[in-house]
Amino acid sequence: MPNERRPVRAARDDPREPLGEPGEQRSVEARLEDHAAIDRLVDELLPALVAKLSATELGEIEVREGAWKVRLRRPANGRVPSRRSSDRSSERASRSQPGHEGHGHARGATESHRSARATSSAATGPQATPASDTNGSSPPPLAVGPGRPIEIQTRSFSSDSHRVVATSPAVGIYQPRTELTPGTRVRAGDRLGSVNMLGVPQEVVAPADGVVGAGYADAGDAVEYGQELVAIELVPATIETGDGGDGRPGGSLGGGA
Amino acid sequence: MFRKILIANRGEIAIRILRACRALGVEAVVAYSEADRDSLPVQLADEAICIGPADARRSYLSAPAVISAALLTGCEAIHPGYGFLSEDEGFAEVVRAHDLTFIGPPPAVLERFASKEGSRRLLGDFGLATIPGSDGMLRDDAHGLDEAERIGYPVLIKPSAGGGGKGMRMVRSPRELESALKVCRSEAKAAFGDDSLYLEKWLEDNRHVEVQVVVDRYGHGVHLGERDCSVQRRHQKILEEAPTPALSPEARAELCDRALRAVVAAGYENVGTLEFLVDENSDPYFIEINCRIQVEHPVTEMLTGIDMVATQMRIASGEPLGFSQADVSLRGHAIELRINAEDPEQEFRPSAGIVERYLVPGGPGVRMDSHLFAGYEVPPYYDSLLGKLVVWAPDRPGAIARAIAALDELLIEGLVTNASIHQALLSSEAFLDGRVTTNMLDRVGSAAFLAAAARV
Repeated sequence: MPNERRPVRAARDDPREPLGEPGEQRSVEARLEDHAAIDRLVDELLPALVAKLSATELGEIEVREGAWKVRLRRPANGRVPSRRSSDRSSERASRSQPGHEGHGHARGATESHRSARATSSAATGPQATPASDTNGSSPPPLAVGPGRPIEIQTRSFSSDSHRVVATSPAVGIYQPRTELTPGTRVRAGDRLGSVNMLGVPQEVVAPADGVVGAGYADAGDAVEYGQELVAIELVPATIETGDGGDGRPGGSLGGGA
Repeated sequence: MFRKILIANRGEIAIRILRACRALGVEAVVAYSEADRDSLPVQLADEAICIGPADARRSYLSAPAVISAALLTGCEAIHPGYGFLSEDEGFAEVVRAHDLTFIGPPPAVLERFASKEGSRRLLGDFGLATIPGSDGMLRDDAHGLDEAERIGYPVLIKPSAGGGGKGMRMVRSPRELESALKVCRSEAKAAFGDDSLYLEKWLEDNRHVEVQVVVDRYGHGVHLGERDCSVQRRHQKILEEAPTPALSPEARAELCDRALRAVVAAGYENVGTLEFLVDENSDPYFIEINCRIQVEHPVTEMLTGIDMVATQMRIASGEPLGFSQADVSLRGHAIELRINAEDPEQEFRPSAGIVERYLVPGGPGVRMDSHLFAGYEVPPYYDSLLGKLVVWAPDRPGAIARAIAALDELLIEGLVTNASIHQALLSSEAFLDGRVTTNMLDRVGSAAFLAAAARV
């Protein structure tokens, strides 16, 4: 999943197939197809849109691609939104090892998924929630599909205004790349290490261009899914989106940094 | 007994397993998905570990993630609960390959009973009557059409794997069959990763009665009576009770004995449930066996006083059962109401949201198994079960009265629940007379049912 710094919405117009009854599951094929389409859009379209938005004074860009609509909006304050609030990282810090005490850890870390929910419940289309099943065995609902505005969420990193954090893609044993020391420059997508889940290494990747900062786990540590592993200090010139009010014509990449 | 186990499930059953662990002095680690970070099981657990994102395929259904979590936290065994990986023999096998214990039947037993059609044949050989059905799995649509012709319409399409009504359709004609096969195949594939289907003769007005058995590693087994799960909507159970009003005490005893003898002979191990359809003549036909703890197990716990989850763990750890059939007494009557986040007025559409207020009923013989708390946000990713309200009384009328009173006390604000359908059911003539059949709600229509109840 590429870096995502702004609220992005993809919605499909002109659904190619009629919607089922409310509560009816859409076919797996259709859902997989939607997912593939979203992945493709994210991979192909998003980087270009991000660059475009950064290079202009536009507050919002919306493009249509086939049956899909992608809207990229600059956050109101013109800065990179912290999709995981800082209280989240502090919560994280207190439970850096798997097998943390279950009692008494902070609640209220649900902001990001709450906002996603607000989006889906605002949809006028059929419930994003699938027909439910007994026995907990319902197939995972993928809250996407025709007519359902969705918010693409990436959980592969957390960020604040000048730092993003690469998180664990799996529950397993962490192995950082030894040649990466604090200060090393990395590009988004660069491999920072891996988490070995039952013998299968899962890549830890840099969520953004920047410089390797603090490491939050050591080689050989047991880590859980989503655990913060490596900070990436953002290099301002390549990251700041411009405050949108500096009046510079056209704006170059990096805006008012 | 194990020192420490991993609970690879969520919601009310994760809490239920936690409670059994506390009773046995076993440490419990709850494996959770990101969507369940703030859930009650995570808060109550001795330890909790995040195994993946909300998408169950990458968390609760991911065998590598679950096993990795168990190894990292030093667990000796994994309790899969119901649904998810609970009846996956491949998973059980990999668990064992990592020197962990799967809390449930051993892999070989799971494999023997993995196919519903195979189980029907196997237990048929050990003396259980079965419903006429297709000869094995359907190879293709043409085979399905031939077999349906031979059995005679209407027929029920059933997936070999899984439960909960997914991939099931009743069809009355070849035309319906052809289109339904396609739908069932994709539903079964999505829900269970296995799209093999078979056919069964559809019994029009049947009752669903199931027998609970417990068998230890040494071949000692007991039955814990039966449960009646005839109140269903689209093949999903919504209310269960025991004993069944469908059979006489003699017929019940006979059915339970026969079921127990068959599973012991077939080499079953651990807790299991044999499901039967009972026709208008009160003849039971075996349909399938569930090799796991079931949602409705509290009904049996109320009647027997036996902690079934603890028993399951004891058997999996190699302990002998420790009691015999003579020690099991089935007292009184119990009813379980499944409280789901569904709107009966809106075709039972799932509802989601934040639980604003939550008050649990109490009093003699009242039990609520639930993971709710005020402020909890029900995530949209999983099933809609919010909890199970279970009541016990010395007799059926007493249990119905307690169920009505408890339902009145139950308060869940912020979400729409199916409580109104339970109120309607508990005051309906059909239920009071013990005449509910599995197709009643679908045939009469839930709306009509609610309206009739409102007039009373």
